[in-house]
Amino acid sequence: MIKISNLSFYYKKKSPLFNDFSLELENGRIVGLLGKNGAGKSTLLNLIAGLSQPKEGSIAVNGFTPFDRNPNFLADIYMVPEEFSFPHVSIATYVKAFSPLYPSFDLEKMDSIFAEFELNSSSNLNKLSHGQRKKFLIAFALSTNCKVLVLDEPTNGLDIPSKSQFRKILVSSVTDEQLVIISTHQVKDIDTIIDKVVVIDEGAIIYQENTEEITQKLYFETVATLAGKENVLHHEQCPMGHKIIVPATTNEESSVDLELLFNAIINKSI
Amino acid sequence: MNSNMFFSFNRFYLLLRNDMLLNHKKYLLTIAGAFILGFIVLYTSMPGYVHKGDFRFVFDAQRYTTAFGMCLLGLLAFVGSAFSELSTKIKTSNYLMLPASTFEKILSQFVIYVLAGSAIFVIVFWVDAHLARYAILSNLKSVYNEDLGPDKSKYIEVFKYSMLLIKNKYPAISYWNWFEGLAIIFGMFSVGMYFFSVKIFFKKLRLIKSAISLIAVVYLGAVVMTLLSHIFYPETKGFDISNALDYKLPNGLFNFEMWLYLSAYCVSLFIIPFGYFKLKEKQL
Repeated sequence: MIKISNLSFYYKKKSPLFNDFSLELENGRIVGLLGKNGAGKSTLLNLIAGLSQPKEGSIAVNGFTPFDRNPNFLADIYMVPEEFSFPHVSIATYVKAFSPLYPSFDLEKMDSIFAEFELNSSSNLNKLSHGQRKKFLIAFALSTNCKVLVLDEPTNGLDIPSKSQFRKILVSSVTDEQLVIISTHQVKDIDTIIDKVVVIDEGAIIYQENTEEITQKLYFETVATLAGKENVLHHEQCPMGHKIIVPATTNEESSVDLELLFNAIINKSI
Repeated sequence: MNSNMFFSFNRFYLLLRNDMLLNHKKYLLTIAGAFILGFIVLYTSMPGYVHKGDFRFVFDAQRYTTAFGMCLLGLLAFVGSAFSELSTKIKTSNYLMLPASTFEKILSQFVIYVLAGSAIFVIVFWVDAHLARYAILSNLKSVYNEDLGPDKSKYIEVFKYSMLLIKNKYPAISYWNWFEGLAIIFGMFSVGMYFFSVKIFFKKLRLIKSAISLIAVVYLGAVVMTLLSHIFYPETKGFDISNALDYKLPNGLFNFEMWLYLSAYCVSLFIIPFGYFKLKEKQL
């Protein structure tokens, strides 16, 4: 569980990134952390991972203060950064070197993810393509079985089949004990797997809702024309006409169009 | 407070193992490079020709000390390559998130780069010194191409580490005493520790910042002496550092030497704890 209370953070004192920011995330969820460029998503992830220190307020991750960098905390959190670098070793050597540092590491799980992602243990990490290295890092992260997984733009660089494999693997491997935070701009890649949406803008949470509640409140559909449509909260043109969000009035539920929802939130239509 | 938070033998072993698995090729290449360079330094320092019967210019303790000093720079460069994971923002992030305590991270680098590095350096230098001596002696001739006979081996002494420590016949190092000797050892250790932890202290422009801070330490000494001069020698005018440098302590020691010795003794005492807290508080 992550509990952020009255967090303040800045790189330059004159332009604070977070001011009196609070957020609570429970285990057993896959959270989509969304926001425009410069909204503070990566900084928030760094603060959660203990890579930056809050100026004021507190962060508690499963009872630990991240910036203390307690080894037991570090053994139970894994971050897949947007940009990464590997030593000049094979996948097998990397796994041999790093996996023992994570007490819950599951080698069998890793082998099965490798098989899904078509990764070969004998390959040299720095000779793989960017996408393959990303797949390796995701496979390693999921195999650590850490209670908190932080994924920053995990689908960047993945090809189309790999994106759907990623969704499938993530959903099947995450347990109720774990909390996964995914920060991304590629909202379409994750809209079927997340069960909580958090949108931040200018250092504040402007929207947070579980997907169940979203679908109870809002209805997403594509219509040929807006004529005759009432109570349209937000609409965008698309090749087939218009994608719209309207208040949910019947028991019928739609699947969440995360991109449409995000644009509606940013445009303050919701 | 749980001591496991600071140190766990198992975690420390895993951290060392991790480093060895990832960097063993680099270390082996470094040892091979050190072996070759050490041999070249010693071989080129030793004479190829001598005057028969003239034992005034024997390759002795002083010359071995000079070669040792030159090779020591190589060890310093190796020690300075510690904490290579702090070279970029991405690597720093990975390193900080490695499941080990700050103490274990510093200790593992210290064990590999300072303890193991120094131990291997000592062995490599000893082997190089003996190999270079045998290589030179096998071809050693007099300047007139005479055979040097059974005295040949006397022109190049057999290297022993005690040579570097004991009093010898040359005045340059004949004033050896415990205070100065320990100051030299502590001084070397301090400089080594400075290079060891420089990546923790500075994010960018490490070389320039290191040079500036080392110069600053020396100048700080001069400033302190100037201040003390004003207190104890009222005739001192302004920043008359040249006079301050000339002041001697009752036993004949220049006060600047005293400052260097004290710096040598003290710096090593706080540079590692300072590095520990800098690493502990390091942010992206």
